[in-house]
Amino acid sequence: MIGEGIQSSNQRRHSFVKDHVEVGFFTDPSVCIGCKACEVACKEWNQVPDDGFTWSGNSYDNTGHLGASTWRHVMFLEQDRQKGNQITGPMGLPFEPASPARADPQSEDPFRWVFLSDVCKHCEEAGCLESCPTGAIVRTEVGSVLVQNDVCNGCGYCVVSCPFGVIDRRPEPLPDAGGAFKCTFCYDRQKSGLVPACAKVCPTESIVFGRLDDLRARGAQRVQQLQESGYTDAQLYDPTETSVRGIHAFFLILGEPEAYGLPPKPQIPTIYLKSAWTSAFATAIGSFIATLLAFTFFS
Amino acid sequence: MEKAPEFRPTGNESGLDGIPGDSAFISHEDGLGWLYVPSGLQDGPMPTHYEPLESPVHNALYSRDTNPAVHWFTRQENRFAPPGDPRFPFVLTTYRLTEHHTAGGMSRFLSHLAELQPELFAEMSPELAVELKIANGDHISIVSLRGAIEARALVSRRIRPLHLNGKTVHQIAMPFHFGSAGPVRGGATNDLVPISGEPNVTIMEAKALTCNIVPGRLPHGPAFEDWLNTYVPKGGPPNLHPEQPPPGAPCGRAGGGHGLEGKIDSR
Repeated sequence: MIGEGIQSSNQRRHSFVKDHVEVGFFTDPSVCIGCKACEVACKEWNQVPDDGFTWSGNSYDNTGHLGASTWRHVMFLEQDRQKGNQITGPMGLPFEPASPARADPQSEDPFRWVFLSDVCKHCEEAGCLESCPTGAIVRTEVGSVLVQNDVCNGCGYCVVSCPFGVIDRRPEPLPDAGGAFKCTFCYDRQKSGLVPACAKVCPTESIVFGRLDDLRARGAQRVQQLQESGYTDAQLYDPTETSVRGIHAFFLILGEPEAYGLPPKPQIPTIYLKSAWTSAFATAIGSFIATLLAFTFFS
Repeated sequence: MEKAPEFRPTGNESGLDGIPGDSAFISHEDGLGWLYVPSGLQDGPMPTHYEPLESPVHNALYSRDTNPAVHWFTRQENRFAPPGDPRFPFVLTTYRLTEHHTAGGMSRFLSHLAELQPELFAEMSPELAVELKIANGDHISIVSLRGAIEARALVSRRIRPLHLNGKTVHQIAMPFHFGSAGPVRGGATNDLVPISGEPNVTIMEAKALTCNIVPGRLPHGPAFEDWLNTYVPKGGPPNLHPEQPPPGAPCGRAGGGHGLEGKIDSR
Protein backbone atom coordinates (compact mmCIF):
# COMPACT_ATOMS: atom_id res chain seq x y z
CA MET A 1 0.00 0.00 0.00
CA ILE A 2 0.98 3.64 0.15
CA GLY A 3 4.34 4.18 1.81
CA GLU A 4 5.87 0.93 0.60
CA GLY A 5 8.67 2.99 -0.96
CA ILE A 6 11.14 0.89 -2.90
CA GLN A 7 9.23 -2.25 -1.89
CA SER A 8 6.25 -1.06 -3.96
CA SER A 9 5.33 -3.05 -7.05
CA ASN A 10 5.86 0.25 -8.92
CA GLN A 11 9.58 0.09 -8.23
CA ARG A 12 10.37 -3.62 -8.48
CA ARG A 13 11.61 -5.49 -11.53
CA HIS A 14 9.27 -8.20 -12.79
CA SER A 15 8.95 -11.02 -15.32
CA PHE A 16 5.26 -10.63 -16.13
CA VAL A 17 5.80 -10.79 -19.92
CA LYS A 18 7.84 -14.00 -19.70
CA ASP A 19 5.38 -15.57 -17.24
CA HIS A 20 2.26 -14.42 -19.17
CA VAL A 21 0.78 -12.71 -16.08
CA GLU A 22 -2.23 -10.40 -16.55
CA VAL A 23 -1.16 -6.94 -15.42
CA GLY A 24 -2.99 -3.67 -14.86
CA PHE A 25 -3.00 -0.12 -13.65
CA PHE A 26 -4.95 0.96 -10.58
CA THR A 27 -5.37 4.75 -10.51
CA ASP A 28 -6.52 6.39 -7.29
CA PRO A 29 -7.53 10.10 -7.37
CA SER A 30 -7.73 10.29 -3.57
CA VAL A 31 -3.92 10.48 -3.38
CA CYS A 32 -3.23 12.16 -6.75
CA ILE A 33 -1.60 15.60 -6.34
CA GLY A 34 -2.04 16.67 -9.98
CA CYS A 35 1.70 16.99 -10.70
CA LYS A 36 1.34 15.58 -14.25
CA ALA A 37 4.62 13.68 -13.87
CA CYS A 38 2.88 10.69 -15.53
CA GLU A 39 2.06 12.77 -18.62
CA VAL A 40 5.63 14.03 -18.95
CA ALA A 41 7.28 10.66 -18.24
CA CYS A 42 4.99 8.96 -20.78
CA LYS A 43 5.85 11.46 -23.49
CA GLU A 44 9.57 11.35 -22.67
CA TRP A 45 9.89 7.56 -22.74
CA ASN A 46 7.66 6.96 -25.74
CA GLN A 47 8.98 10.00 -27.66
CA VAL A 48 5.47 11.35 -28.16
CA PRO A 49 5.55 14.87 -29.64
CA ASP A 50 3.95 17.87 -27.98
CA ASP A 51 0.53 18.63 -29.46
CA GLY A 52 0.27 22.38 -29.26
CA PHE A 53 0.67 25.14 -26.70
CA THR A 54 -2.97 26.02 -26.07
CA TRP A 55 -4.17 27.38 -22.77
CA SER A 56 -7.62 25.98 -22.02
CA GLY A 57 -8.88 28.05 -19.08
CA ASN A 58 -10.28 24.80 -17.67
CA SER A 59 -8.63 24.66 -14.22
CA TYR A 60 -5.03 23.45 -14.64
CA ASP A 61 -5.95 21.00 -17.41
CA ASN A 62 -4.34 22.21 -20.63
CA THR A 63 -4.19 18.69 -22.07
CA GLY A 64 -7.94 18.27 -22.63
CA HIS A 65 -8.32 14.64 -23.57
CA LEU A 66 -6.49 11.47 -24.49
CA GLY A 67 -5.42 11.17 -28.11
CA ALA A 68 -2.69 10.20 -30.55
CA SER A 69 -0.14 12.40 -28.75
CA THR A 70 -1.55 12.19 -25.22
CA TRP A 71 -1.47 8.76 -23.60
CA ARG A 72 -1.83 9.94 -20.02
CA HIS A 73 -4.17 12.82 -19.18
CA VAL A 74 -4.56 14.27 -15.69
CA MET A 75 -8.09 15.62 -15.20
CA PHE A 76 -8.69 18.57 -12.87
CA LEU A 77 -12.26 18.62 -11.59
CA GLU A 78 -13.51 21.55 -9.51
CA GLN A 79 -16.70 20.36 -7.85
CA ASP A 80 -19.11 21.90 -5.36
CA ARG A 81 -18.99 18.74 -3.28
CA GLN A 82 -17.52 17.68 0.01
CA LYS A 83 -14.27 15.71 0.01
CA GLY A 84 -14.22 13.03 2.67
CA ASN A 85 -14.66 14.50 6.14
CA GLN A 86 -13.75 18.00 4.96
CA ILE A 87 -15.14 20.70 7.26
CA THR A 88 -17.16 23.08 5.13
CA GLY A 89 -18.78 26.38 5.93
CA PRO A 90 -20.10 29.51 4.30
CA MET A 91 -17.14 30.67 2.24
CA GLY A 92 -18.83 33.28 0.07
CA LEU A 93 -19.40 36.91 0.91
CA PRO A 94 -21.60 37.09 4.02
CA PHE A 95 -22.96 40.55 3.31
CA GLU A 96 -23.06 40.42 -0.49
CA PRO A 97 -24.82 37.12 -1.08
CA ALA A 98 -24.35 35.79 -4.59
CA SER A 99 -26.88 33.09 -3.77
CA PRO A 100 -29.45 32.78 -0.99
CA ALA A 101 -27.51 29.85 0.49
CA ARG A 102 -24.46 32.05 1.15
CA ALA A 103 -26.48 34.66 3.03
CA ASP A 104 -27.05 32.06 5.74
CA PRO A 105 -23.94 31.84 7.97
CA GLN A 106 -24.88 28.30 8.95
CA SER A 107 -24.99 27.17 5.33
CA GLU A 108 -22.57 24.65 3.91
CA ASP A 109 -20.52 25.62 0.89
CA PRO A 110 -18.40 22.59 0.06
CA PHE A 111 -15.76 22.59 -2.64
CA ARG A 112 -13.22 20.05 -3.78
CA TRP A 113 -10.51 19.77 -6.41
CA VAL A 114 -10.10 16.22 -7.70
CA PHE A 115 -7.30 14.97 -9.95
CA LEU A 116 -7.46 11.72 -11.91
CA SER A 117 -4.88 10.42 -14.36
CA ASP A 118 -6.76 8.93 -17.30
CA VAL A 119 -5.21 6.33 -19.61
CA CYS A 120 -6.12 3.64 -22.16
CA LYS A 121 -8.24 1.08 -20.31
CA HIS A 122 -6.81 -1.97 -22.15
CA CYS A 123 -10.25 -3.62 -22.29
CA GLU A 124 -10.78 -7.35 -21.91
CA GLU A 125 -12.86 -7.17 -25.14
CA ALA A 126 -11.31 -4.24 -26.97
CA GLY A 127 -13.35 -2.37 -29.59
CA CYS A 128 -10.22 -1.10 -31.35
CA LEU A 129 -8.71 -4.58 -31.61
CA GLU A 130 -11.89 -6.17 -32.94
CA SER A 131 -12.38 -3.51 -35.62
CA CYS A 132 -8.78 -3.41 -36.86
CA PRO A 133 -8.74 -4.81 -40.44
CA THR A 134 -4.95 -5.05 -40.77
CA GLY A 135 -4.05 -6.92 -37.60
CA ALA A 136 -2.04 -3.93 -36.42
CA ILE A 137 -3.71 -4.08 -33.01
CA VAL A 138 -2.80 -7.16 -31.00
CA ARG A 139 -3.24 -8.58 -27.50
CA THR A 140 0.07 -9.00 -25.65
CA GLU A 141 1.18 -11.71 -23.21
CA VAL A 142 0.26 -9.47 -20.26
CA GLY A 143 -3.28 -8.81 -21.51
CA SER A 144 -2.67 -5.29 -22.80
CA VAL A 145 -3.75 -4.01 -26.21
CA LEU A 146 -0.89 -2.88 -28.46
CA VAL A 147 -0.95 -0.92 -31.73
CA GLN A 148 1.88 -1.90 -34.06
CA ASN A 149 2.48 1.36 -35.84
CA ASP A 150 4.49 -0.19 -38.68
CA VAL A 151 1.46 -2.32 -39.64
CA CYS A 152 -1.28 0.30 -39.11
CA ASN A 153 -2.59 1.72 -42.39
CA GLY A 154 -4.44 4.63 -40.80
CA CYS A 155 -7.99 3.53 -41.71
CA GLY A 156 -9.38 4.96 -38.46
CA TYR A 157 -11.88 2.15 -37.70
CA CYS A 158 -10.41 1.81 -34.20
CA VAL A 159 -11.01 5.50 -33.48
CA VAL A 160 -14.78 5.15 -33.73
CA SER A 161 -14.81 1.69 -32.12
CA CYS A 162 -13.20 2.69 -28.82
CA PRO A 163 -15.94 3.16 -26.20
CA PHE A 164 -13.67 5.48 -24.18
CA GLY A 165 -12.39 7.77 -26.96
CA VAL A 166 -8.78 6.83 -26.20
CA ILE A 167 -7.22 6.05 -29.57
CA ASP A 168 -6.81 8.62 -32.33
CA ARG A 169 -4.93 9.24 -35.56
CA ARG A 170 -2.03 11.67 -35.35
CA PRO A 171 -2.60 14.79 -37.47
CA GLU A 172 -0.07 16.57 -39.70
CA PRO A 173 2.54 17.99 -39.19
CA LEU A 174 3.47 15.80 -36.22
CA PRO A 175 5.92 12.92 -36.79
CA ASP A 176 4.35 9.62 -38.00
CA ALA A 177 1.16 11.52 -38.90
CA GLY A 178 -1.75 9.43 -40.20
CA GLY A 179 -1.28 6.34 -38.05
CA ALA A 180 -3.33 5.50 -34.97
CA PHE A 181 -1.62 5.82 -31.58
CA LYS A 182 -2.48 5.11 -27.97
CA CYS A 183 -0.92 3.95 -24.71
CA THR A 184 1.32 0.92 -25.27
CA PHE A 185 1.29 -0.03 -21.55
CA CYS A 186 5.05 0.52 -22.05
CA TYR A 187 5.24 -2.96 -23.59
CA ASP A 188 8.88 -2.30 -24.51
CA ARG A 189 9.73 -1.54 -20.87
CA GLN A 190 7.71 -4.50 -19.60
CA LYS A 191 9.57 -6.91 -21.89
CA SER A 192 12.75 -5.85 -20.10
CA GLY A 193 11.17 -6.32 -16.66
CA LEU A 194 10.60 -2.59 -16.13
CA VAL A 195 7.47 -0.88 -14.83
CA PRO A 196 5.54 1.47 -17.19
CA ALA A 197 6.99 4.99 -17.11
CA CYS A 198 3.90 6.68 -15.60
CA ALA A 199 3.70 4.29 -12.63
CA LYS A 200 7.47 4.45 -12.13
CA VAL A 201 7.44 8.24 -11.65
CA CYS A 202 4.16 8.63 -9.75
CA PRO A 203 5.34 10.21 -6.47
CA THR A 204 2.25 9.30 -4.42
CA GLU A 205 1.48 5.86 -5.87
CA SER A 206 -1.76 7.19 -7.25
CA ILE A 207 -0.91 5.07 -10.29
CA VAL A 208 -0.05 1.52 -9.26
CA PHE A 209 1.20 -1.09 -11.68
CA GLY A 210 1.09 -4.78 -10.87
CA ARG A 211 -0.72 -8.10 -11.24
CA LEU A 212 -4.34 -7.47 -12.15
CA ASP A 213 -5.75 -9.74 -9.41
CA ASP A 214 -3.52 -8.09 -6.77
CA LEU A 215 -4.65 -4.66 -7.93
CA ARG A 216 -8.35 -5.60 -7.84
CA ALA A 217 -7.94 -6.72 -4.23
CA ARG A 218 -6.00 -3.56 -3.44
CA GLY A 219 -8.68 -1.41 -5.10
CA ALA A 220 -11.50 -3.03 -3.11
CA GLN A 221 -9.50 -2.59 0.11
CA ARG A 222 -8.84 1.08 -0.69
CA VAL A 223 -12.54 1.75 -1.39
CA GLN A 224 -13.47 0.21 1.95
CA GLN A 225 -10.78 2.25 3.73
CA LEU A 226 -12.02 5.50 2.12
CA GLN A 227 -15.66 4.69 2.83
CA GLU A 228 -14.80 4.18 6.49
CA SER A 229 -12.97 7.51 6.67
CA GLY A 230 -15.84 9.56 5.26
CA TYR A 231 -15.43 9.33 1.48
CA THR A 232 -18.91 7.90 1.08
CA ASP A 233 -18.91 8.48 -2.70
CA ALA A 234 -15.75 6.41 -3.32
CA GLN A 235 -16.29 3.53 -5.74
CA LEU A 236 -14.36 1.44 -8.25
CA TYR A 237 -14.79 2.06 -11.95
CA ASP A 238 -14.29 -1.37 -13.49
CA PRO A 239 -17.12 -2.22 -15.92
CA THR A 240 -17.11 -6.02 -15.93
CA GLU A 241 -20.87 -6.37 -16.54
CA THR A 242 -20.88 -4.82 -20.04
CA SER A 243 -19.54 -6.14 -23.35
CA VAL A 244 -16.14 -4.64 -22.50
CA ARG A 245 -15.95 -7.41 -19.83
CA GLY A 246 -13.55 -5.59 -17.55
CA ILE A 247 -10.60 -3.27 -18.05
CA HIS A 248 -6.91 -3.67 -17.26
CA ALA A 249 -6.52 -0.02 -16.23
CA PHE A 250 -9.26 0.57 -13.68
CA PHE A 251 -9.92 3.53 -11.45
CA LEU A 252 -11.12 4.50 -8.04
CA ILE A 253 -13.46 7.45 -8.47
CA LEU A 254 -15.09 9.89 -6.09
CA GLY A 255 -18.64 10.45 -7.30
CA GLU A 256 -20.18 9.42 -10.58
CA PRO A 257 -18.19 8.17 -13.60
CA GLU A 258 -19.87 10.74 -15.88
CA ALA A 259 -18.04 13.56 -14.04
CA TYR A 260 -14.75 12.03 -15.22
CA GLY A 261 -15.94 11.52 -18.80
CA LEU A 262 -16.09 7.77 -18.19
CA PRO A 263 -19.11 6.00 -19.72
CA PRO A 264 -21.13 4.22 -17.00
CA LYS A 265 -21.93 1.33 -19.38
CA PRO A 266 -19.23 1.14 -22.07
CA GLN A 267 -20.10 -1.15 -24.99
CA ILE A 268 -17.95 -2.35 -27.87
CA PRO A 269 -19.56 -1.76 -31.31
CA THR A 270 -19.17 -5.39 -32.41
CA ILE A 271 -22.11 -6.44 -30.21
CA TYR A 272 -24.33 -4.78 -32.84
CA LEU A 273 -22.85 -6.93 -35.66
CA LYS A 274 -25.55 -9.61 -35.50
CA SER A 275 -28.48 -7.20 -35.67
CA ALA A 276 -26.67 -5.10 -38.29
CA TRP A 277 -26.04 -8.09 -40.56
CA THR A 278 -29.58 -9.44 -39.98
CA SER A 279 -31.15 -6.18 -41.06
CA ALA A 280 -28.74 -5.84 -44.00
CA PHE A 281 -29.65 -9.38 -45.13
CA ALA A 282 -33.39 -8.68 -44.69
CA THR A 283 -33.04 -5.46 -46.69
CA ALA A 284 -31.24 -7.31 -49.49
CA ILE A 285 -33.99 -9.96 -49.72
CA GLY A 286 -36.67 -7.28 -49.55
CA SER A 287 -35.16 -5.24 -52.37
CA PHE A 288 -34.72 -8.37 -54.50
CA ILE A 289 -38.42 -9.25 -54.07
CA ALA A 290 -39.44 -5.64 -54.73
CA THR A 291 -37.42 -5.65 -57.96
CA LEU A 292 -39.03 -8.91 -59.09
CA LEU A 293 -42.49 -7.57 -58.29
CA ALA A 294 -41.77 -4.35 -60.17
CA PHE A 295 -40.80 -6.31 -63.30
CA THR A 296 -43.90 -8.53 -62.92
CA PHE A 297 -46.37 -5.63 -62.72
CA PHE A 298 -44.85 -3.11 -65.12
CA SER A 299 -43.41 -5.30 -67.91
CA MET B 1 16.59 9.92 6.38
CA GLU B 2 14.23 6.95 6.64
CA LYS B 3 13.14 7.25 10.25
CA ALA B 4 9.96 5.98 11.92
CA PRO B 5 7.89 8.56 13.86
CA GLU B 6 8.51 6.55 17.04
CA PHE B 7 12.30 6.92 16.74
CA ARG B 8 14.02 8.42 19.84
CA PRO B 9 17.76 9.21 19.86
CA THR B 10 19.93 7.42 22.41
CA GLY B 11 22.28 10.38 22.78
CA ASN B 12 25.16 8.84 20.86
CA GLU B 13 24.02 10.03 17.42
CA SER B 14 25.30 13.13 15.70
CA GLY B 15 23.70 15.60 13.30
CA LEU B 16 20.30 14.78 11.81
CA ASP B 17 20.45 11.24 13.27
CA GLY B 18 19.98 12.75 16.74
CA ILE B 19 16.59 14.25 15.96
CA PRO B 20 13.48 12.32 17.08
CA GLY B 21 11.38 10.78 14.32
CA ASP B 22 8.36 13.03 14.93
CA SER B 23 10.28 16.33 15.07
CA ALA B 24 9.76 18.21 11.84
CA PHE B 25 12.08 21.22 12.26
CA ILE B 26 15.23 19.37 11.22
CA SER B 27 17.33 22.56 10.93
CA HIS B 28 17.08 23.11 14.67
CA GLU B 29 19.34 21.19 17.06
CA ASP B 30 16.36 19.65 18.86
CA GLY B 31 14.13 19.31 15.78
CA LEU B 32 11.43 21.46 17.39
CA GLY B 33 9.79 24.71 16.29
CA TRP B 34 10.79 27.64 18.50
CA LEU B 35 8.48 30.42 19.69
CA TYR B 36 11.16 32.09 21.85
CA VAL B 37 14.42 32.43 19.93
CA PRO B 38 17.07 33.91 22.24
CA SER B 39 19.68 34.64 19.58
CA GLY B 40 20.21 34.71 15.83
CA LEU B 41 17.08 36.58 14.73
CA GLN B 42 17.19 40.24 13.70
CA ASP B 43 13.50 40.65 14.60
CA GLY B 44 13.23 38.26 17.56
CA PRO B 45 13.06 36.93 20.15
CA MET B 46 9.23 36.54 20.07
CA PRO B 47 7.06 36.11 16.96
CA THR B 48 4.48 38.77 16.11
CA HIS B 49 2.44 40.04 13.20
CA TYR B 50 3.15 42.95 10.89
CA GLU B 51 1.32 43.67 7.66
CA PRO B 52 3.14 43.20 4.35
CA LEU B 53 4.94 46.30 3.07
CA GLU B 54 2.01 46.78 0.69
CA SER B 55 -1.32 45.96 2.29
CA PRO B 56 -4.96 46.94 1.77
CA VAL B 57 -5.47 47.33 5.53
CA HIS B 58 -3.68 48.65 8.62
CA ASN B 59 -2.14 46.35 11.20
CA ALA B 60 -4.79 45.12 13.64
CA LEU B 61 -2.20 44.46 16.39
CA TYR B 62 -0.12 47.66 16.59
CA SER B 63 -0.14 51.25 15.40
CA ARG B 64 2.89 50.33 13.32
CA ASP B 65 2.05 48.53 10.05
CA THR B 66 5.35 47.13 8.83
CA ASN B 67 8.30 45.33 10.36
CA PRO B 68 10.71 48.01 11.67
CA ALA B 69 13.75 45.88 10.81
CA VAL B 70 12.90 45.51 7.11
CA HIS B 71 15.06 46.82 4.25
CA TRP B 72 13.05 49.02 1.87
CA PHE B 73 15.45 49.89 -1.02
CA THR B 74 13.62 53.19 -1.67
CA ARG B 75 13.88 54.31 -5.32
CA GLN B 76 11.57 55.98 -7.81
CA GLU B 77 11.21 52.68 -9.76
CA ASN B 78 10.57 50.78 -6.53
CA ARG B 79 7.68 52.61 -4.90
CA PHE B 80 5.35 50.97 -2.39
CA ALA B 81 1.61 51.73 -2.20
CA PRO B 82 0.52 53.06 1.21
CA PRO B 83 -1.97 50.97 3.23
CA GLY B 84 -5.47 51.09 1.74
CA ASP B 85 -4.39 52.97 -1.42
CA PRO B 86 -7.66 53.20 -3.46
CA ARG B 87 -5.67 53.00 -6.73
CA PHE B 88 -4.53 49.47 -5.85
CA PRO B 89 -7.47 47.81 -4.10
CA PHE B 90 -6.63 44.16 -4.81
CA VAL B 91 -4.20 41.76 -3.16
CA LEU B 92 -1.81 39.95 -5.48
CA THR B 93 0.06 36.82 -4.47
CA THR B 94 2.55 34.94 -6.60
CA TYR B 95 3.20 31.22 -6.65
CA ARG B 96 4.71 28.30 -8.55
CA LEU B 97 3.23 25.65 -10.81
CA THR B 98 4.58 22.10 -10.72
CA GLU B 99 5.10 22.21 -14.49
CA HIS B 100 7.62 25.05 -14.42
CA HIS B 101 10.85 25.84 -12.60
CA THR B 102 11.59 29.32 -11.18
CA ALA B 103 11.18 31.99 -13.89
CA GLY B 104 10.74 29.26 -16.52
CA GLY B 105 14.18 29.65 -18.12
CA MET B 106 14.55 25.88 -18.20
CA SER B 107 10.98 24.59 -18.32
CA ARG B 108 9.46 27.03 -20.85
CA PHE B 109 11.86 25.73 -23.50
CA LEU B 110 10.96 22.06 -22.94
CA SER B 111 7.92 21.33 -25.08
CA HIS B 112 6.64 18.51 -22.84
CA LEU B 113 6.47 20.89 -19.87
CA ALA B 114 5.57 24.06 -21.77
CA GLU B 115 2.47 22.50 -23.35
CA LEU B 116 1.09 21.69 -19.90
CA GLN B 117 1.08 25.36 -18.77
CA PRO B 118 1.45 27.43 -21.92
CA GLU B 119 0.27 30.87 -20.86
CA LEU B 120 0.38 33.29 -17.95
CA PHE B 121 -2.90 33.50 -16.05
CA ALA B 122 -4.30 35.23 -13.00
CA GLU B 123 -6.64 33.24 -10.79
CA MET B 124 -9.57 35.13 -9.34
CA SER B 125 -12.79 34.40 -7.50
CA PRO B 126 -16.15 34.33 -9.33
CA GLU B 127 -17.20 37.24 -7.07
CA LEU B 128 -14.39 39.46 -8.35
CA ALA B 129 -14.96 38.36 -11.95
CA VAL B 130 -18.60 39.43 -11.70
CA GLU B 131 -17.63 42.73 -10.09
CA LEU B 132 -15.13 43.58 -12.87
CA LYS B 133 -17.25 42.01 -15.65
CA ILE B 134 -14.48 39.54 -16.54
CA ALA B 135 -15.24 36.11 -18.05
CA ASN B 136 -13.03 33.04 -17.70
CA GLY B 137 -10.27 33.21 -20.31
CA ASP B 138 -10.52 36.98 -20.91
CA HIS B 139 -7.37 39.03 -21.27
CA ILE B 140 -6.79 41.30 -18.30
CA SER B 141 -4.08 43.82 -17.41
CA ILE B 142 -2.59 43.85 -13.93
CA VAL B 143 -0.92 47.06 -12.81
CA SER B 144 1.11 47.84 -9.68
CA LEU B 145 3.27 50.84 -8.74
CA ARG B 146 6.21 49.10 -10.45
CA GLY B 147 4.66 48.25 -13.83
CA ALA B 148 1.94 46.45 -15.74
CA ILE B 149 1.59 43.08 -17.46
CA GLU B 150 -1.23 41.21 -19.14
CA ALA B 151 -2.55 37.72 -18.43
CA ARG B 152 -5.58 35.49 -18.98
CA ALA B 153 -8.25 35.39 -16.31
CA LEU B 154 -8.77 31.96 -14.68
CA VAL B 155 -11.98 32.23 -12.68
CA SER B 156 -12.17 29.59 -9.97
CA ARG B 157 -13.92 29.02 -6.69
CA ARG B 158 -10.55 27.93 -5.32
CA ILE B 159 -9.86 31.66 -4.82
CA ARG B 160 -11.99 33.29 -2.12
CA PRO B 161 -12.53 36.93 -1.18
CA LEU B 162 -10.90 37.94 2.11
CA HIS B 163 -12.83 39.59 4.92
CA LEU B 164 -10.44 42.02 6.64
CA ASN B 165 -11.68 44.33 9.41
CA GLY B 166 -15.23 44.17 8.05
CA LYS B 167 -13.99 45.05 4.58
CA THR B 168 -14.15 42.71 1.59
CA VAL B 169 -10.77 42.50 -0.12
CA HIS B 170 -10.37 40.52 -3.33
CA GLN B 171 -7.19 38.66 -4.08
CA ILE B 172 -5.70 37.32 -7.28
CA ALA B 173 -2.90 34.81 -7.71
CA MET B 174 -0.36 34.61 -10.49
CA PRO B 175 2.45 32.16 -11.28
CA PHE B 176 5.82 33.79 -12.04
CA HIS B 177 7.19 31.39 -14.66
CA PHE B 178 6.80 33.45 -17.83
CA GLY B 179 9.01 35.75 -19.81
CA SER B 180 9.77 37.06 -23.28
CA ALA B 181 11.53 34.06 -24.88
CA GLY B 182 10.88 30.43 -25.70
CA PRO B 183 8.02 28.47 -27.27
CA VAL B 184 5.59 29.78 -24.64
CA ARG B 185 5.79 33.41 -23.57
CA GLY B 186 4.00 35.75 -21.25
CA GLY B 187 4.35 38.71 -18.96
CA ALA B 188 6.94 38.48 -16.18
CA THR B 189 5.00 38.63 -12.91
CA ASN B 190 8.16 39.86 -11.17
CA ASP B 191 7.72 43.15 -13.09
CA LEU B 192 4.94 43.90 -10.59
CA VAL B 193 6.87 42.95 -7.47
CA PRO B 194 8.77 45.49 -5.33
CA ILE B 195 12.32 44.88 -4.13
CA SER B 196 12.64 44.69 -0.36
CA GLY B 197 14.74 42.82 2.18
CA GLU B 198 13.38 40.60 4.89
CA PRO B 199 15.42 41.35 8.07
CA ASN B 200 17.10 37.96 8.45
CA VAL B 201 17.72 36.55 5.00
CA THR B 202 17.12 39.67 2.81
CA ILE B 203 14.64 37.85 0.58
CA MET B 204 12.17 40.19 -1.04
CA GLU B 205 8.50 40.13 -0.20
CA ALA B 206 7.01 38.75 -3.44
CA LYS B 207 4.06 36.87 -1.97
CA ALA B 208 1.91 39.78 -0.80
CA LEU B 209 1.47 43.04 -2.67
CA THR B 210 -1.35 45.23 -3.96
CA CYS B 211 -2.43 45.79 -7.54
CA ASN B 212 -5.20 47.02 -9.79
CA ILE B 213 -6.93 44.99 -12.52
CA VAL B 214 -8.07 46.48 -15.82
CA PRO B 215 -10.09 44.28 -18.20
CA GLY B 216 -8.58 44.05 -21.69
CA ARG B 217 -5.10 43.82 -23.18
CA LEU B 218 -2.22 46.23 -22.72
CA PRO B 219 -1.43 48.70 -25.52
CA HIS B 220 2.03 48.41 -27.07
CA GLY B 221 4.74 50.91 -27.92
CA PRO B 222 4.40 54.59 -26.91
CA ALA B 223 0.70 54.04 -26.15
CA PHE B 224 1.78 51.78 -23.28
CA GLU B 225 3.60 54.67 -21.56
CA ASP B 226 0.46 56.83 -21.78
CA TRP B 227 -1.70 53.97 -20.53
CA LEU B 228 0.63 53.31 -17.60
CA ASN B 229 0.73 57.02 -16.75
CA THR B 230 -3.03 57.10 -16.25
CA TYR B 231 -2.80 54.36 -13.60
CA VAL B 232 0.68 55.03 -12.17
CA PRO B 233 1.57 58.73 -12.56
CA LYS B 234 5.29 59.42 -12.78
CA GLY B 235 7.03 61.80 -10.41
CA GLY B 236 6.29 62.52 -6.78
CA PRO B 237 8.27 61.29 -3.81
CA PRO B 238 9.70 57.77 -4.03
CA ASN B 239 8.64 56.97 -0.45
CA LEU B 240 4.83 56.89 -0.67
CA HIS B 241 4.43 54.52 2.26
CA PRO B 242 4.28 56.52 5.54
CA GLU B 243 6.73 54.15 7.26
CA GLN B 244 9.18 54.08 4.38
CA PRO B 245 12.46 56.03 4.83
CA PRO B 246 13.59 58.50 2.13
CA PRO B 247 16.18 57.33 -0.41
CA GLY B 248 19.62 56.79 1.09
CA ALA B 249 18.39 56.79 4.69
CA PRO B 250 19.43 53.76 6.73
CA CYS B 251 16.82 51.13 7.33
CA GLY B 252 16.72 47.70 8.84
CA ARG B 253 18.90 46.83 11.85
CA ALA B 254 22.61 47.48 11.74
CA GLY B 255 24.41 44.25 11.02
CA GLY B 256 21.26 42.54 9.84
CA GLY B 257 20.89 40.44 6.76
CA HIS B 258 23.68 39.21 4.52
CA GLY B 259 26.16 42.07 4.74
CA LEU B 260 29.85 41.89 3.99
CA GLU B 261 30.34 40.31 7.38
CA GLY B 262 27.72 37.64 6.74
CA LYS B 263 24.75 36.88 8.94
CA ILE B 264 25.67 37.97 12.44
CA ASP B 265 23.90 38.66 15.69
CA SER B 266 24.48 42.33 16.45
CA ARG B 267 23.87 41.78 20.16
